[in-house]
Amino acid sequence: MTVEPWTVKYKPRTSKDVAGNRPAIEKLRDWIESWNKGRPSKAAVLLYGPAGVGKTTVTEALARERGWDLVEINASDKRSGDILAKVAGLASTQSTLFSKGRLILLDEVDGINLRADQAAVTTILQIIKETQYPLILTANDPWDPKIRPLREACLQIELKRLGVRDGLPLLRNILNQEGVKANEDALRLILDRDRGDIRSILNDIQLLSSKHGTLAVDDVDLLSGRDRTESIFEVLRVIFNSRTAASARRALSLSDLDQEMLFQWIFENAPYQIPKPKELEEAMSALAESDLYFGRIKKTQSWHLLSYALDLMTAGVAVAKQTSPGGWVPMKFPQKISSMSRTRSIRDTRKKAASSIGVKSHVSVRRAQQLYFPLLRFIYEHNPDEYERIAVSLDAKEELDDLVSGEMTMPN
Amino acid sequence: MEAALWTEKYRPKTLDEIVDQEEIVSRLKEFVKRGAMPHCLFAGPPGTGKTTAALCLAHDLFGERFQDVFMELNASDERGIDVVRTTVKEFARMASLSQVPFKILVLDEADNMTNDAQSALRRTMEKYTDTCRFILCCNYSGRIIEPIQSRCALFRFTPLPESRIVEHLHRIAKQEGLKVAEPGIKSVVEVAEGDLRKGINTLQAAASMSKGITEEAVYQVVGRAKSTDVHEMLTHAMKGDFIKAREELRQLLVKYGLSGSEIVRQIHSEIFRLPVPEKKRISLIEAVGEIDYRLVQGGDEEIQLSALLARLASDA
Repeated sequence: MTVEPWTVKYKPRTSKDVAGNRPAIEKLRDWIESWNKGRPSKAAVLLYGPAGVGKTTVTEALARERGWDLVEINASDKRSGDILAKVAGLASTQSTLFSKGRLILLDEVDGINLRADQAAVTTILQIIKETQYPLILTANDPWDPKIRPLREACLQIELKRLGVRDGLPLLRNILNQEGVKANEDALRLILDRDRGDIRSILNDIQLLSSKHGTLAVDDVDLLSGRDRTESIFEVLRVIFNSRTAASARRALSLSDLDQEMLFQWIFENAPYQIPKPKELEEAMSALAESDLYFGRIKKTQSWHLLSYALDLMTAGVAVAKQTSPGGWVPMKFPQKISSMSRTRSIRDTRKKAASSIGVKSHVSVRRAQQLYFPLLRFIYEHNPDEYERIAVSLDAKEELDDLVSGEMTMPN
Repeated sequence: MEAALWTEKYRPKTLDEIVDQEEIVSRLKEFVKRGAMPHCLFAGPPGTGKTTAALCLAHDLFGERFQDVFMELNASDERGIDVVRTTVKEFARMASLSQVPFKILVLDEADNMTNDAQSALRRTMEKYTDTCRFILCCNYSGRIIEPIQSRCALFRFTPLPESRIVEHLHRIAKQEGLKVAEPGIKSVVEVAEGDLRKGINTLQAAASMSKGITEEAVYQVVGRAKSTDVHEMLTHAMKGDFIKAREELRQLLVKYGLSGSEIVRQIHSEIFRLPVPEKKRISLIEAVGEIDYRLVQGGDEEIQLSALLARLASDA
């Protein structure tokens, strides 16, 4: 199953569709329009702002709506001043065949590696001086000392993080089109958590709403364990795409996610990320081995075994996977974790009810859950009056009512 | 208030009311006659009457108000031996007020205690042996350390014979005004597998649907008619659709509340009906056996069974 990432599906087609940053985009558009009257005093714009606010997207939209070619050079690609000179130089001086317009984008100029690209800054300055076409430079950090000369040669325009005012309507619109019912607080929480990074926001809401077609605050809470180290998706991507055991194992350090949580993420997604049955068999067998180690650790408190459990669940899975699924496959939310969160509040209730039953029927809390919960649920479904009588006699009516009317899953 | 759970409502109160485990009951009656008893170890599968026997013994020894001198602890609930030790200390310290010069402490699921905890327990037993008698209940006596075993009189509880379970169920059915068809009772007995508690619970659940206990009703209770679901799960896996198979597995675990070992058992019996080459059956049995073992070792049922499904799917 291949689903288009929402970051692609809902990419703005024109600069008017871009959410937020109206004044900045106006300014950028005015500057481009001014090229109609000849080269403006500043031939380049330094478009800056944090990751995911839409710097590249805005530039692409501006080129597209004018029917211009976009010449895009990513500064974080490995490249020397020579290549820059060749590509960017060509773009800035040669005219196109049918004198079509052209927009030149030098992406992530603050990513220039000065040692590898000694001449890069000088070359770019040269290009700015000579360019016949609008030139847009992007950067996360405009104050990086190494690009100071560039900063001075450019008109500086800042793109700000997406705020709630512009963010909410955008998310509402997308979720409407996807038929997802979302709680407003949940959306605010995501906007806040992802600090206005549209890319992360879209990835998060796509994942969270894939679970049951709704989006509630509880769902968001599930993601909030991480403090913006690497997102869980990044960790999973690394694990599923590592070619070596070592690099998969290292992925663990990318995230501060609880290890057993991560296990559940891997277990949930393995069948979607590993299309070849033979390879999936190997991966699942590694996970089962890993699970056994977790079991032993819990039983015997032998924490030195943890390392093997972690090796097996990361490297074991990575090495098993040789073949990738065709196309982009979204990550799925682990069923176990989502049912855990749903039951987090009722876990206490359940325990209370079980110990009540345990005392009355001379069994342990664990056995009470095993033996009597399914029984009571069944009776509740088929004969509410009888259920009521039993619940009262067990002194646990209140707790049991909560349990049987909700989803009473089996204890772990 | 009268108990509404039939397992409690129909739990025997005195040793005389226990109709099974004759040999055990007669030995326990001997204790009552002499007004003395040793520490005891009650071993046997669930639902064979261990706790009931302990309760009845206490009743017959101490009379109606035996609750004052009788205490039940659950080894798997009371975390750590320290809790057990303090509780026991508190309980055993006070001399018994009844004519019988000791109290009874029942420690359930004693085989869930670690060896260290058992050793500590042994010392506690020793220390309070004048004022307190222990009855340890367990599924497997082999999991109880030797020094404790040697200090206890061992009672082995065996699964109830079908005829006895039928008797019990009929008696309850009569009192509850149920109309019972023979195939209905038969299927309850089949489900119970010698576990009377399971049998009674199944009967009560089935009765909540209608007073007539039919085979279908019973199957609906256990989700056993859904043994086709296990079949379906295996079929998905063997067609190579692991994702569907795992979905089915989760249904079985969550919705029907089957335990991992129950599913393993059902898979085991399905193996002989699967359309696979004969040699394959043997390797499947090995695989299923391995999972059964791993579940005992603390493996997670969903994950271990998923690995089996992935294995089936890769042979598709």
